[in-house]
Amino acid sequence: MFRLFISWRYLVSRRTNAIGIVGIFLAVSALITILSIMTGFLEQSRRSLRSSLSDIVVEPSQYLRPDGRPVPSDAGPILAAVREDPRVEAAAAHLVWFGLVGTPGASAAEMWASARSGDRVGVKLVGVDVADEFATTEFRDSLVQAARDGVPVADPGDPFAPPPDYDPVGRPRASVIVGSQLLRAHRLERGDELELMTSVHDPATGDWVASNRKFVVAGTFRSGENEMDLQRIYLERDELADFLGDTRGYSEILVRLRDYDRFGEVVQRDLWRSLDEAGLIFGTPYEVRTWEQLRPVLVGAINNQRVIMGILLSLVLVVAGFTIFAILSMLVSEKRRDIGILGAVGATPVGVMSVFLWISVWQALVGGVLGSLAGWWAARNIDAIERWVSRTLDVQVFDRNAYLFDHIPSQVNPAGVVLVVFGAFACALVSAVVPALRAARVDPLEALRNE
Amino acid sequence: MSSSADPAAGRERSGEAQVQAPPVADARGTPVLAADRVRKSFRIGDRELEILHGVTMELHRGEVLAVTGPSGAGKSTLLHTLGLLERPSEGRVLIEGRSAWELSLNERAALRNRRIGFVFQFYHLLPELTALENVLLPGMISDSVLLYRRRRKRAHQTAEDLLERFGLADRMTHRPPQLSGGERQRVALARALFHDPPILIADEPTGNLDTATGERVLELLFAEQERRNLSLILVTHDERLAARCQRALYMEDGQIGMDSGSPIPT
Repeated sequence: MFRLFISWRYLVSRRTNAIGIVGIFLAVSALITILSIMTGFLEQSRRSLRSSLSDIVVEPSQYLRPDGRPVPSDAGPILAAVREDPRVEAAAAHLVWFGLVGTPGASAAEMWASARSGDRVGVKLVGVDVADEFATTEFRDSLVQAARDGVPVADPGDPFAPPPDYDPVGRPRASVIVGSQLLRAHRLERGDELELMTSVHDPATGDWVASNRKFVVAGTFRSGENEMDLQRIYLERDELADFLGDTRGYSEILVRLRDYDRFGEVVQRDLWRSLDEAGLIFGTPYEVRTWEQLRPVLVGAINNQRVIMGILLSLVLVVAGFTIFAILSMLVSEKRRDIGILGAVGATPVGVMSVFLWISVWQALVGGVLGSLAGWWAARNIDAIERWVSRTLDVQVFDRNAYLFDHIPSQVNPAGVVLVVFGAFACALVSAVVPALRAARVDPLEALRNE
Repeated sequence: MSSSADPAAGRERSGEAQVQAPPVADARGTPVLAADRVRKSFRIGDRELEILHGVTMELHRGEVLAVTGPSGAGKSTLLHTLGLLERPSEGRVLIEGRSAWELSLNERAALRNRRIGFVFQFYHLLPELTALENVLLPGMISDSVLLYRRRRKRAHQTAEDLLERFGLADRMTHRPPQLSGGERQRVALARALFHDPPILIADEPTGNLDTATGERVLELLFAEQERRNLSLILVTHDERLAARCQRALYMEDGQIGMDSGSPIPT
């Protein structure tokens, strides 16, 4: 009993112990905050990539197959083949092309010139089938999310329906759904007409020719991924195919699996084999890839960063450990008489040693618990903290244009928190071993005699 | 009771191994505390300095024994050896018939905790603890957390009763720096008596107190000794105090020069 009691009393009666607690507190809170942010980055990246790419992506090459047959330009056969696999939950066809957003009054030549100079950023035109898209990707969620800082579509169940207040002058336009940031960048409103320009292949002459068409903005989507929200425009697949005047009805097939973690790579290999045998792809392994294979560098880089940050921040724990070592060493020197008294009253050397080990445990417990709470709170409110710091210091701490996301993603991993707190305990205990052994070796009589 | 011979004979044998009979139980039964040919020497550089030259003595239940003698005679060393704080170089210390230095470290610690109470000249209270907590300390040391929680109420009652009896009812929550010397020594006495040990060892208990305060402490000490039938051994330079004890050992040059068997005449 005295181990707990005396150690606690020593802890609270000496202000220097607060230094050790603060050290542990800072280390634990910083580790949890940073690791949560890195985990958030990783998970958000995975989620964003996965939501825009789904689990597996099939991108058939447009070359003639070795057997001389072309890959079918219609999505129907390949969709049917993919859906045959019982491990596949849903599949959707995308028609993807690139274009420019027109500026009222600017000629096509002026727009191409500004695109070439880099002043105008291209957009990705993605043609989708709504029902399939809802079943396969996070498209429906991104429409709902648009309510946060964009302009939601009037009917999330029928997103390409014209806006209720749309009053076309002349021919009614087909609807587009633009990224929430793109809408802001071009100062668009729901119901505005938007001119899209692209170049298409003219089968008659074999040349590439400019093509432009006006659409009406039905609303926005918000994926949370900067690049998507700034550069993507959704159209109905048929509308895009009509705009492009191309016979090819799709560019890629997105596949959602029932259990990606379990079957992901197996299904990828099986699909590649079966689609090749059916003549639905050219036959290279690159045509059927998991989302992780499509974005290996980004996911790997974030993971590496997380590990490196974890190692670097662990050094803070080591520093806290040294502080505890110094504080306890001083305490043992100062408390020699007390150690003598404890021995005289019947405490064993192990008991005396435990008193000083317990002080480090208290420090780790108080610092660790408070640090965990602070780290958890900071991780949960990192966006607000970043805004406050940016406003107060008048510097941009998180450049949203430099990252994939329009917010700082953060995800507290309970196992990580436990590991960090465990590390703090281990560090504190290891730091206390030498001073505690010194205390255990104090001869009670010698200590009392010197007084 | 047996002891070493007269002082002159002791001096003659200084430096030699004394052949004395081991303590034996007399009509009063097994002594609660006994030294059997205890020698204690310290090495200082190349030189071996012998402080105790084979001391043999006994203390029976309820006996009050004063140890007197000039400075450097080995009184405190004998007391610390009997109190299991100092290991003898040779010989045995018997606590209730058991050779204490042949016991394990934990068993010796338990003896110090439960069977021996210490009162030091300089009180030796923990400054971070209140008076009450200082008195509870032996209980905290002997009990595990669970056991202490079970016995907490009783332990507090015991400690509070002791402090009340010693006139410290209004000082229980005071820390040692907030107490006078006499109050501190009374707290130290209460701590020594917490487990109701059969042996009380006091090393110049009034040596740091003025006469009046010292007298008050001694009154309490002797009252508790009588009430509990304690075996009390105390070191003192004060011959009047020694005279109040049933027996007095006069130590000189690391030997028992004289065992009064009765109070020393002042």
